[in-house]
Amino acid sequence: MPTVLIPPPYRGPTGGLEALAVAGTTVRECIEAVDADHPGFAAQVFDAAGTPHKFVKLFVNGDPSPPEAPVGAGDEVEVLAAIAGG
Amino acid sequence: MFDDRLIRVDMTNLSASVEPFPETWKLLGGRALSARILLEECDPQCDPLGPDNVLVMAPGVLSGTAAPTSGRISIGGKSPLTGGIKEANAGGNPGQDLMKLGYRAVVVKGQPADPDQRYALEVRKDGVTVVPADDCKGLWNYALIERLAGRYSATASFISIGPAGEMKLSGASVACTDQDQDRRPARHAARGGLGAVMGSKGLKFVMVDPEKTPVRRPADSKAFFGLCKSYTKEFREGPKANVFKYGTSAVVPVANMLNTFPYKNRTEGQSPDAQTLDGARIVESFESRGGGMHNCMTGCVVQCSNIVHDADGNYKTSALEFETLTLLGSSCGIASWEDVADLDRLCDELGLDTIETGAALAIYMDSGEMEFGDAEGAKRILGEIAEGTELGKAIGNGAVAIGKRQKHARVPVAKGQALPAWDPRPLKATGVTYCTSPMGADHTAGLIVNPGLSPDQFAQASQESQLINAACDSSGFCQFLQPTMPEIAEFYSHFYGEAVPKEAVAEIGWQCLLDEWKFNEGAGFTAADDALPACLTEEGIGPDHSLKFDVPADVVAQAKAERFPEREELWTTKATG
Repeated sequence: MPTVLIPPPYRGPTGGLEALAVAGTTVRECIEAVDADHPGFAAQVFDAAGTPHKFVKLFVNGDPSPPEAPVGAGDEVEVLAAIAGG
Repeated sequence: MFDDRLIRVDMTNLSASVEPFPETWKLLGGRALSARILLEECDPQCDPLGPDNVLVMAPGVLSGTAAPTSGRISIGGKSPLTGGIKEANAGGNPGQDLMKLGYRAVVVKGQPADPDQRYALEVRKDGVTVVPADDCKGLWNYALIERLAGRYSATASFISIGPAGEMKLSGASVACTDQDQDRRPARHAARGGLGAVMGSKGLKFVMVDPEKTPVRRPADSKAFFGLCKSYTKEFREGPKANVFKYGTSAVVPVANMLNTFPYKNRTEGQSPDAQTLDGARIVESFESRGGGMHNCMTGCVVQCSNIVHDADGNYKTSALEFETLTLLGSSCGIASWEDVADLDRLCDELGLDTIETGAALAIYMDSGEMEFGDAEGAKRILGEIAEGTELGKAIGNGAVAIGKRQKHARVPVAKGQALPAWDPRPLKATGVTYCTSPMGADHTAGLIVNPGLSPDQFAQASQESQLINAACDSSGFCQFLQPTMPEIAEFYSHFYGEAVPKEAVAEIGWQCLLDEWKFNEGAGFTAADDALPACLTEEGIGPDHSLKFDVPADVVAQAKAERFPEREELWTTKATG
């Protein structure tokens, strides 16, 4: 199964979990699979229209990827929230 | 091979001298060096605005070298705001210029007999001199630098105070000029009122002229320059390089989502104005107005600083940061980023911390004296600071001062210093930092943006973040470069041509904290001061107002009781501020 890496700012819904192995064949399906067990997670990634928030970047195995990018077993889906201090 | 020196300035006798920098201190720079000097040479019981306080200006260890984004300078002293030790650091070029000349620190003591006189310190290749500067008395920062630019060489940089520092207001900042040709005084060591300490010593500005002096030469040039090149390449070309390209103001929407974009004096964690205050609006303005992103200091690869223009395309301010948009914007109920830009410029001109000033304005509004959202009223009050009215001074003295004046209870501070944007109620480990940091409420002391931590993780997360940030603030690296301690150790090793283990860098960070806690203990701080006020422990934000700072005191205490055993994650933790 692919693994979704959860960035620290988004670990509220996952109760602090850093990574989750989920069933999914696209980035979006993986994010939604996390949300199924940890409600509120997907809302941090996608807006109401299902588009990634502007401050979110998605990566598959380190490469920038759109939500519909295919993922396979062993792939790492990384969610990165653009956040820095001030 | 390093002919490093230390500048001593005696403002009582109006003299300056140079002495050798102790070899044993070579890995101490910035915050750690400031802490060591203050612990050894400053009476923690002294009046922060009296002659016995010591003002330290200390560039980081790597400032003035070719290491990327490494030119930060720390300003230190006993804070008139907190009553404890304080360090605030800034970018710009003065830190690098001092270090190019081999000056590891400027230590200012004493006080002139006549408090109405103004002086300047001139630092050149061939020596250091205290000179009269009465003609600069009362000048706002931008006008001051404009005058100095005509007086000194084009290669000079400046450290200055505005009227707020001259008036010894507790929210006063110390300004550094940035690397652009215009040398704008836009980089501020803002927190803790160190501008007031500089003002109390009659020191209006420091001029540093390195002329054409090259960067500091490392002991192992091949390894050091190779590391600089590979580190820069990795930062610039990595897959995540563009994520932070619009600087901190772009954080507004995610901070709002996480309930850490405080609204109306922190009575809410989210703001209905997040859209209009989003840094994306600033970025959109670049196309029609000009401005854009730039580096505040030579050799910076992060380039997070924005230059903001007005509707006519003229320069307005730089940089308009997330913290400023929050404290002068959302927390005051001010919805327009352009109004916040005006307020930011006024703060930079007067030499004021935008966080402390924004918090003070929000408290004033919350007390009922002025409507939330009254941007013109806020600008008028900043004008009153320059005029020295009683209200202006109260705002300029910060959150606690205006809270007392208004007899208003909701004063969100730690150790007398206003909270930055990052709220301790959703981000409880950051709250532990605010409680235990020698700096008071300062996100750059140890920011942990992780609302998923469990209570048993708060103290260790805070301590580790405080440790890495102290190490970073001693190195000269900007926290936005997000270096790890092994990376800092590698730069040190190649620069000095000797193995500096990562454990040594961690020890520098920890010893810095120990020095600072010891100073504060001497100043009279006790465990009772390691707490947040009732407005943060009893008043909730977020869903059903359920988010409160509810970390027990015994858990908070663990963050400074003793050092946690090292764990592997410590070495991959990045500095974050």
